[in-house]
Amino acid sequence: MNQLPDFWRTEVFHPLSVHLPIALLLMATFFKLVSLWNNGETWNKGGSILLFVGVIGGWISIYTGNLADGIVSRELCDPTVLKDHENASLVTVWLFTSVVLIEMIHGFLQKAWLKLLMVMTMLIGSGFLGYTGHLGATLVYQQAAGVYVPSSDCEEFE
Amino acid sequence: MKRIIKLVPAFLLVVFFAACETTDVVESGIYTGTIDEVEPAKTEIYVKTAEGETLELYFTEETSLSRAGEEVDFSMLEEGMTVEVEVEKVGKRLDPISVEIME
Repeated sequence: MNQLPDFWRTEVFHPLSVHLPIALLLMATFFKLVSLWNNGETWNKGGSILLFVGVIGGWISIYTGNLADGIVSRELCDPTVLKDHENASLVTVWLFTSVVLIEMIHGFLQKAWLKLLMVMTMLIGSGFLGYTGHLGATLVYQQAAGVYVPSSDCEEFE
Repeated sequence: MKRIIKLVPAFLLVVFFAACETTDVVESGIYTGTIDEVEPAKTEIYVKTAEGETLELYFTEETSLSRAGEEVDFSMLEEGMTVEVEVEKVGKRLDPISVEIME
């Protein structure tokens, strides 16, 4: 008889940790984009807080993804998708991390072009973020990465 | 504005090449190459073949690892070692059947 595996498996921590930073980084991009026209504190500081927390969450996702990689790679039929997912995620997190650094420099220099560079990098980062998410979804819905597939007679649920 | 137009693509290229790692999918067979990277936590190695391809190999319970015909532990593997690997291509996954340390 098959036994239902524990829910709190190492590979499950990755999907649990990715969605919050995705939302935070996309919202941070939106806030900073609006702040180009409206320099109010809500958009500017709000965007900075979202960005900072999102980047921390992004690095946590990279860590949990690395843990999951060691487990699911042996079961995938096409691990090249996982490699692309990993590469895109690293580009995404490095782009947003660099935005934090640009923002710190902008804090000292107060140059308008630095703010524009920041928003452009965030928009490109959001594109990579969407692509990373798409590849992650492909891994789950086409290759059942990290997913427990129940037996055909659902015996383990009885 | 011109400064930004020049900066963004250059910046993107730097990030892209610094972050990305590529691997190759090859047909089932025996390959000789050098260990490029060892990941003990994942029992995984990257082997760079003489043809310049990078094979990402996750050891399975069936993978045999040997040196001079004797079974050895995964911890014996180090970067720069020459190895002969027999791989089986399953879908686009490469399962290592055997790894022989040549040196």
